[in-house]
Amino acid sequence: MQTLIINGQSQQVDVAADMPLLWVLRDVLGLTGTKYGCGIAQCGVCTVHLDGQPIRSCVTPISAVVGRSITTIEAIGETAVGQAVQQAWLAHEVVQCGYCQSGQIMAATALLQSQPAPDDQAIDAAMAGNLCRCATYTRIRSAIHSVGQVEEA
Amino acid sequence: MKLISNLLLLASAALLVQAAYAQDDSLAKGEYLTRAANCVACHTVPGGEPFAGGVEFKLPFGSLFSPNITPDTKTGIGAWTDDEFVSAMQTGVGRDGKHYYPAFPYTAYSKMSRDDILAIKGYLASLEPVEQAQRENHISFPFNQRWGMVFWNLLFLDDERFQADSQHSEEWNRGKYLVEGPGHCGECHSPRNLFQAVSSDRSLAGNLLQGWNAYNISSDPVHGIGAWPTDVLAGYLKDGAAPGLGLSSGPMAEVVENSLRHLTDADRQAIAVFLKESAPRTEGVPRPQQVTLAEPGSGNALGNKLFAGACASCHRWDGTGSQSQTAMLLGLKTVNDPAASNLLGILLSGHGSADMPVDRLMPSFGTIYNDQELAALSSFMLQRFGDSGAQVSVPAVAKRRTESLH
Repeated sequence: MQTLIINGQSQQVDVAADMPLLWVLRDVLGLTGTKYGCGIAQCGVCTVHLDGQPIRSCVTPISAVVGRSITTIEAIGETAVGQAVQQAWLAHEVVQCGYCQSGQIMAATALLQSQPAPDDQAIDAAMAGNLCRCATYTRIRSAIHSVGQVEEA
Repeated sequence: MKLISNLLLLASAALLVQAAYAQDDSLAKGEYLTRAANCVACHTVPGGEPFAGGVEFKLPFGSLFSPNITPDTKTGIGAWTDDEFVSAMQTGVGRDGKHYYPAFPYTAYSKMSRDDILAIKGYLASLEPVEQAQRENHISFPFNQRWGMVFWNLLFLDDERFQADSQHSEEWNRGKYLVEGPGHCGECHSPRNLFQAVSSDRSLAGNLLQGWNAYNISSDPVHGIGAWPTDVLAGYLKDGAAPGLGLSSGPMAEVVENSLRHLTDADRQAIAVFLKESAPRTEGVPRPQQVTLAEPGSGNALGNKLFAGACASCHRWDGTGSQSQTAMLLGLKTVNDPAASNLLGILLSGHGSADMPVDRLMPSFGTIYNDQELAALSSFMLQRFGDSGAQVSVPAVAKRRTESLH
């Protein structure tokens, strides 16, 4: 039995120590907002926060996160920055097919939490590992800038 | 009378059991030493039958193929006598007086006692025989004259068993025995001289072989392992990882997999104790000393873009690898070697095997990126995380592709 702290709540799971966090979130706990993409940390759709840092849950064994704070897309709107990001996403109509967007929002929120008003270079660097087949990149960049400006005001 | 015969029966049964135990012990010892000596590595082709030989060794003057050491009587060593096996291991002279080439590390195995060597033979004899004929060596003249090894052996083979040094602790002595005897660490980690002999005054100072840099593992804190805490070094020998210090890759990952992780904690600790007290050698790739995380310059936009897209998600922009401790790039010689030998090796081949934890695996980038891209990416990494200031050229990547990736 492992104890995980997910979205502020303590959860007990009984799984193999090497099961990736993504499997536990989706198949064991039913938190299906986080998506499966490549399985090798190359696309970014499975991004969640571990102690506030964006990580790829598909390559993170459960043994590495026991007792640490995990935040998923389901609860990111409960943080001030996360809520601002979601509003900006709506305002800029970022989402097309939507499959990658959980990961995009998690990555953008982590960036804005550590750097309230990132410039283009910082945005490109932080978001480069999150792929979008619908090519929503320019809108993602605008939405992040708009949150940055709100924070500044 | 009945009582006596019963007692006799009991006594002989006890003797038999004892003999069986002794045999078990000897087999277990043989298996342990076979692992410590990592025989399987050189005597097994990828995907092939263990110990059946056939691995190619590319030398400057041709190719050698390792022999079959399963107990098959026709193609293996099933018909060998104890003396023949001991002679092969201690003097490099096999059955029928045939001289081996020192790709077979008999100069190291020579330090092993006859008992230890026969334990290995006993273990090998307990395996399934595999019929697999020896592949012909391709060695050019004059090196194909095996008798010439007589002179080489006169110069470079001590043919002496290990002698404990009473000036040092038992643990140190055990470590020295494992490192210089069965473990034959110096065969890869010591430079070789013109005659392909391990250079004794530069022992453990590092060596380049088939594209991989077997780093300096002497006690020097900058070039070797002197700055590693002893228990961290012992842990590395078990797990193949010491975040911020070293991560085993390429041939060393196989050594951990096939050999070191099977040793006892006490033996790994002994190895670490000995290495920490070995003669310091100040050559080879230094660990990065003061890394300032130079901002990605506009001079290498391609490398910057590739790192951001393919690497930062696990290794992070600052190289701390918080995705996984083993993904930490800071502090590694890998990102401070101007030749980028191991960096390119890992980029081209990826890292890890199927039974490794998922956060230890790295995909291969050899087929996804071309030489120009990999040169830009590795240059970016050297400049950002190391202090060598080196630039990796496109031909260097092309050359590394032709060398060993495993």
